Amino acid sequence: MSTENHREHEITPTERIGVGVTDTCTRKPRLVTGIMVALTLMLGLLAGVPSLFPDSVPMLNSLRVDTDPENMLAPDEPVRMYHNEAKRRFGLSDIVVLGVVNETNPDGVYNPETLAEVYELTEYAKTLHGEAIGEEDPEAGVVRIDLIAPSTVDFIESAGVGTVRFDWLMPAPPETRDEALAVRDRSRRIPFLNGTMIADETDEALCLYIPLTDKHLAHQVAGKLQSKIDGFAGAGGNEYYITGLPVAEDTFGVEMFKQMAISAPLAMVVIFLLMWIFFKKITLIVPPLIVAMVTSIMTMALLVISGKTVHIMSSMIPIFIMPIAVLDAIHIISDFFDRYGETRDRKATLVAVMKELFSPMLYTSLTTTAGFASLALTPIPPVQVFGIFVAIGVMLAWVWTITFIPAAIMFIPESRLADIADAQEKAHSAESSSLMARVLARLGGLTFRRAVFILAAAVVAVVVSGYGISRIRINDNPTKWFEPGHPIRVADRVLNKHFGGTYMGYLELSSSPIEGDAGVYAGGLVDRLSAGFDADSAGVGNLLTNEIRRLSEDAQSPWSLLDSAQAFVENKLDTCPDDEFDAWDRVSDQLGAERARFETFKQPETLRWMRSMQDHLETVLADADRQVVGKSNSLADIVMTVHRDLLGGTDDQYRFPDSPAAVAQCLIQYQSSHRYTDLDHFVMRDASAPEDHFRRSALWVQLTSGDNRDMEAVTRALDDYIAQNPPPGGIEHRWFGLTYINVIWQDKMVSGMLQAFLGSFLVVLFMMIVLFRSALWGILSMIPLTLTVALIYGLIGLIGKDYDMPVAVLSSLSLGLSVDYAIHFLARSRNMHRSRGSWKASVSPMFGEPALAITRNAIVVGFGFLPLLAAPLVPYQTVGFFIAAILLTAGASTLLLLPALIRFLEPWLFDESGSRAMSCRCGTCIVGSLVLVGLVVINLNQFIGEGSQIRYIALGLIPVLAIGCFVASRRRGCAGGKSVSENGGTP
Amino acid sequence: MNALSIVGICALLFTGNAPDDATNLGVNEIVERSNHVAYYASDDGRARVEMEITDDQGRTRNRRFTILRWDEPGEADENGYSDHDQRFYVYFDKPADISKMVFMVHKHLGRDDDRWLYMPSLDLVKRIAATDKRTSFVGSDFFYEDVSGRRLEDDVHELLETTENYYKIKNTPIDRSLVEFDHYIMWIHKGTFLPITVEFYDEGGNKYREYKAEKVEEIDGHWTVTQSSMHNLETGSKTVMSYSEVEYDIGLDGDIFTERYLRKPPRKFLR
Repeated sequence: MSTENHREHEITPTERIGVGVTDTCTRKPRLVTGIMVALTLMLGLLAGVPSLFPDSVPMLNSLRVDTDPENMLAPDEPVRMYHNEAKRRFGLSDIVVLGVVNETNPDGVYNPETLAEVYELTEYAKTLHGEAIGEEDPEAGVVRIDLIAPSTVDFIESAGVGTVRFDWLMPAPPETRDEALAVRDRSRRIPFLNGTMIADETDEALCLYIPLTDKHLAHQVAGKLQSKIDGFAGAGGNEYYITGLPVAEDTFGVEMFKQMAISAPLAMVVIFLLMWIFFKKITLIVPPLIVAMVTSIMTMALLVISGKTVHIMSSMIPIFIMPIAVLDAIHIISDFFDRYGETRDRKATLVAVMKELFSPMLYTSLTTTAGFASLALTPIPPVQVFGIFVAIGVMLAWVWTITFIPAAIMFIPESRLADIADAQEKAHSAESSSLMARVLARLGGLTFRRAVFILAAAVVAVVVSGYGISRIRINDNPTKWFEPGHPIRVADRVLNKHFGGTYMGYLELSSSPIEGDAGVYAGGLVDRLSAGFDADSAGVGNLLTNEIRRLSEDAQSPWSLLDSAQAFVENKLDTCPDDEFDAWDRVSDQLGAERARFETFKQPETLRWMRSMQDHLETVLADADRQVVGKSNSLADIVMTVHRDLLGGTDDQYRFPDSPAAVAQCLIQYQSSHRYTDLDHFVMRDASAPEDHFRRSALWVQLTSGDNRDMEAVTRALDDYIAQNPPPGGIEHRWFGLTYINVIWQDKMVSGMLQAFLGSFLVVLFMMIVLFRSALWGILSMIPLTLTVALIYGLIGLIGKDYDMPVAVLSSLSLGLSVDYAIHFLARSRNMHRSRGSWKASVSPMFGEPALAITRNAIVVGFGFLPLLAAPLVPYQTVGFFIAAILLTAGASTLLLLPALIRFLEPWLFDESGSRAMSCRCGTCIVGSLVLVGLVVINLNQFIGEGSQIRYIALGLIPVLAIGCFVASRRRGCAGGKSVSENGGTP
Repeated sequence: MNALSIVGICALLFTGNAPDDATNLGVNEIVERSNHVAYYASDDGRARVEMEITDDQGRTRNRRFTILRWDEPGEADENGYSDHDQRFYVYFDKPADISKMVFMVHKHLGRDDDRWLYMPSLDLVKRIAATDKRTSFVGSDFFYEDVSGRRLEDDVHELLETTENYYKIKNTPIDRSLVEFDHYIMWIHKGTFLPITVEFYDEGGNKYREYKAEKVEEIDGHWTVTQSSMHNLETGSKTVMSYSEVEYDIGLDGDIFTERYLRKPPRKFLR
């Protein structure tokens, strides 16, 4: 698209390569095309065959979709490993949540018809395992014993004086209104169910929790449940909602494919239309589109072949590659037709075009690649994969652009080309008077006359952006990746309105390790036992304490000492004369109490502490006084409930018993039920591992939203509480559960993206310094994109859009994309200045063809991303909107800010005296070196971790480099006038 | 599940030798005899039971208790069995924090059982009303019904097969709503009439629970299961009960099985 005449200069090595490549490709267009098609087919087959026929080629990878948010963290990430370990320890499953809401019946869901349907659904859910859902393992599927539904939970009630009744909460569907209401009243009395299975404030909703052996079975199970629901008569106003994280994940996979099937082709169509508007000739549009398609296919094929999974990020790869891929091709083709008229020789024109464009195309491709590749520095594997493969795609697009586009042009007969060139010329003359051209021409004048105003406006914009950035709210919520009208979002809203929350955060409390020396322990043990002896038991007691002292010499641990002591007492109990039995029995009890001292979670004081901690967590508020923790469940609640019901069921008995043994006896009752494994979800029991037995407990915290900032607020509230109320006897705490995992990867993402951004910023800056052989030019070229990034993030802060994963990723990739405009603008400004002599004289021609080209580019690529707005998933929409905004802003700031700056910096920018060799320019050399050191530090930091040493070494390097630069610039070779590389490598 | 279950706990009275015509027995006679052997050995008995519950992760929990059994006297039926109501007294001594806890059952064939519980640390005696006997016995994989026996009249019995050593009998509940299983299959040993394996199936035909008599000894002339296990195939949890100090005809008195003995255990029979 460049029309200005370049001064002839010596050919640089880069240009020589460009010309060589073009020469080869124009001589063998069929070969080039053949190679491209063959490679595309080959990669396509390698990826496609194993995906379509999974077992045909076992050594090849097939397409694997990954919708698991857990994979935002690497599998060996400590938080994730701990999460899985704790989940296993407490037998916690991923859950499908099935909500029933009835807003029309005056009794809500507590009417015989609704409860009959609930009963039927529950019975049906119990059958969903093994063959019923197409699984070989008969146990794969719904975990029946953990299913929470009215007909699968137990109920204890007082049945007259001194009697308790144990039964199912709802053994059969109720037949009368009274029976139905009784189900509600009974459920309300069970704290575990209130706010979890039944809504605590209205009668309108009820929830079934359907645990799965594996979350990847959610899709089958949810599908079966949905068809069962569809089969209901539909009378009575029952509405059903199926949700839960496993369902959301599966649905996400389906939507992702939709996105790939709709958005990517749509982007293609939009780009096609925009190009058609600008170029009018199909012949010109087809080769760039071929490059875009070939590049997308090859990149995705490489992704599949490499065995990487298609995650939310990587599914966006084609849509990123397509607009980027057509860019360079457009450059070649429009430049080709600008020049073709002069010679009417395809080959000669192509060589000339490539000589001019090869270097800027290489640099813009490299900067874009650097921007994406920097994502590899983030600690989030899916983001890494995305960055690396888009980077590969960008370089592939570059390769096919410089080889295939010239080849494609060689296929068009000269006569046809001449027609096109004539049409182009006509279009051009029309264009020079087009609206866009006129606007740009006026704009050019403005940038010169109102330069001060533009710079002042830029400063104001930066300040406002700074304020916006300071208000950025970091938050993400995978549920909100769906659009507000999506059934999952609807279910989420409805259910969290009625219940204590469907997002589960788990907290593991564990006792601090015990001093393991048996000898030390024996001393204390003897003291405590002796203090408990009375006149009757002192005799046998002394036998025991002597034995303990003897045993302690060989005992490995306090536990084994207690075991041996207990064995000794048991033997006595079995063999002693009747008159000693009571005394031995007494000391045996004492020894038993001693063991209970280790069982932290049988201690009433520990349970009391836990419960008041839960009370504290339940006071955490989010915006608009919304309660974050709607409900929490723990061992403490279980003990209090059982205690109340064993002691008559009155509210004053809803308390903790007085001794660990009483707690243990309540818990034995709790286990003597239909759901005897429930206790395992709350406390770890393992008599063979006394260091864990009743020393680890899990607390379930139900959050009403999956917002990471809500989870963070809860973790902060817990830390505050523990700081002010130290747990009795020292208890450690650690969070797990998916809601918490999301917080961790978000934190990693925020810090990781900052590093990635800094890294790619420095890479691009360094490349610019090298490209322009000048620090000043290099820095200048970074200004528009810096302003752009500031504006965009300021905007995000100001409008209150959460800083989430897609927003975080935007910074790095916008950097790589938007520097292109500055490169083109500055490179041409430099040439223009050289030929016109002053900036004043250069402004008008700069705002002719070059500005037009930049504007067109920004429009084609920016709008090319807009089809993402049609995607059914919010992250795609976010990316589409902001990328478009970034490109348009970058285009605008390039065209406004750079000319205004050049006006003031003219004397320094175009100082042609002195050497152009980088090492001869002291300032450039120092800045370039600093950038390099910064880059190394950032990269090493990533891999070595908190390396303060590296920073010191880097600091020490700075003066060394500065002196080096100073010396180098004073060397003899730099003294003379213009040096050899006069052209400075500029395009 | 009559016979099956806890077979062991109570052991059986095997008064005479097995009739020679056993091969020609009808299915009802087989299950009645098996029930008798498994739950009604002698008129009373005691055993010390070590129970170990092992979950799918290999974690264990232990209980130890002594169990006393006394059969109420009554008329013999046409086959000569006088298997009527029974009383059980279960006294816990391990783990230490539930020691002295007592669980007592009056098993009635014609109506719901009576159960009592004594919790020493709460100093509390509670009567437990429960129509449902298919709940866990003190947190193990055994159910109360496995321990005390299932009424023969609750199921329809069907002899599926007679193998060299076993009668294979399918038992289908008459009232499906009272139980969690669809049916269960017993393998009754032809020589001892002890149920050796009992498998529980759900409506999908999946086996989800399995009882096994792992050790059988002849004690005082009664074939007695001295080790049995219940495996929950759904959770992977398994409970093993081992019986020691098994004795029959120890002269128990029905009076011991009353509320006032809950707080004051009959040490004579428990030591």
